[in-house]
Amino acid sequence: MAETLKRVLSRGGAAWSREENNPAAGPPLLLLGAPGSGKTTLLFAAALEAAGEGQGPVLFLTRRPFQSLPRGTGTALDPMRLQKIRFQYPPSTRELFWLLSSAHEAPGPAPSLLLLDGLEEYLAEDPEPQKAAYLTALLLDTAAHFSHRLGLGRDCGLMVALQTQEEADSGDFLHLALLQRYFPAQCWLQPDAPGPGEHGLRACLEPGGLGPRTEWWVTFRSDGEMMIAPWPTQAGDPSSGKGSSSAGQP
Amino acid sequence: PDEYLLSLKFLFGSSATQALDLVDRQSITLISSPSGRRVYQVLGSSGKTYTCLASCHYCSCPAFAFSVLRKSDSILCKHLLAVYLSQVMRTCQQLSVSDKQLTDILLMEKKQEP
Repeated sequence: MAETLKRVLSRGGAAWSREENNPAAGPPLLLLGAPGSGKTTLLFAAALEAAGEGQGPVLFLTRRPFQSLPRGTGTALDPMRLQKIRFQYPPSTRELFWLLSSAHEAPGPAPSLLLLDGLEEYLAEDPEPQKAAYLTALLLDTAAHFSHRLGLGRDCGLMVALQTQEEADSGDFLHLALLQRYFPAQCWLQPDAPGPGEHGLRACLEPGGLGPRTEWWVTFRSDGEMMIAPWPTQAGDPSSGKGSSSAGQP
Repeated sequence: PDEYLLSLKFLFGSSATQALDLVDRQSITLISSPSGRRVYQVLGSSGKTYTCLASCHYCSCPAFAFSVLRKSDSILCKHLLAVYLSQVMRTCQQLSVSDKQLTDILLMEKKQEP
């Protein structure tokens, strides 16, 4: 999944190159960020990316329907791609367990990408660590089953968004440590030097495995459009990104 | 050979012996349904059955919850080790169930009290 997100983020800037456009999904990815940091928009962008030409359907799990579709990431909203995204709205943890446990009974072609938004809401319902571990493991198992059904070396990616709290209490910390064991790849969305009329974020992708850490500068225009640029220090073109004054590595 | 046994014991301590014991007693069952989805069940020494996922590191036993997840002082429990050992030794029991039954097995695990 890390590869799909990397493609989404790389497309926004000049750094995007064709050679990175391989269809592999990459390892399961956990997307972390505070409320309103654009997690849903990025998930949706990843869904559109994975619904591209010649690729299987996408299964998008979220607790409630969108009020409006998130604005794109510079690409037009292609109805053909949109049609390939199947939304399901498990209203409770119990329903989510049922959906994942019975995923092999669902007819039709297996998805090439499984997305879940708002994992923290499902975990909050039943904070027992073993239940959290089982829910997470079942997400991985469901994606693994889809991969098995896709066959021919094709994998179903998995990308899960989790809202992080400003003040981490011990329960959240335990969950996060547990989740990080199951998700080799992680992407953090951190607020960074907000400008007037927009807010800026640093998207930091740890792809898992041996890949290098990559960073992007994400801003939301006042109309909701998400703008992505490579993080200045590594793009080699400081003028392409805003906020170059805060470009120091952490 | 004995050297493998010693390595296992060195790495996993008493879990190694207990896991091999589970393998010897053929306590590991690979359950599969026509969909191709699979799950392992291990009959523990206490007579309780635990569910281990085939695709990732998860066992429903209390030791996994406590020593592996919470305390991080073990990397796996004897049931998972038994599953991995039986995979390489090809000594799993096999059981075919319907897709619906496999759903129930996966769901039942959730209801099991830790």
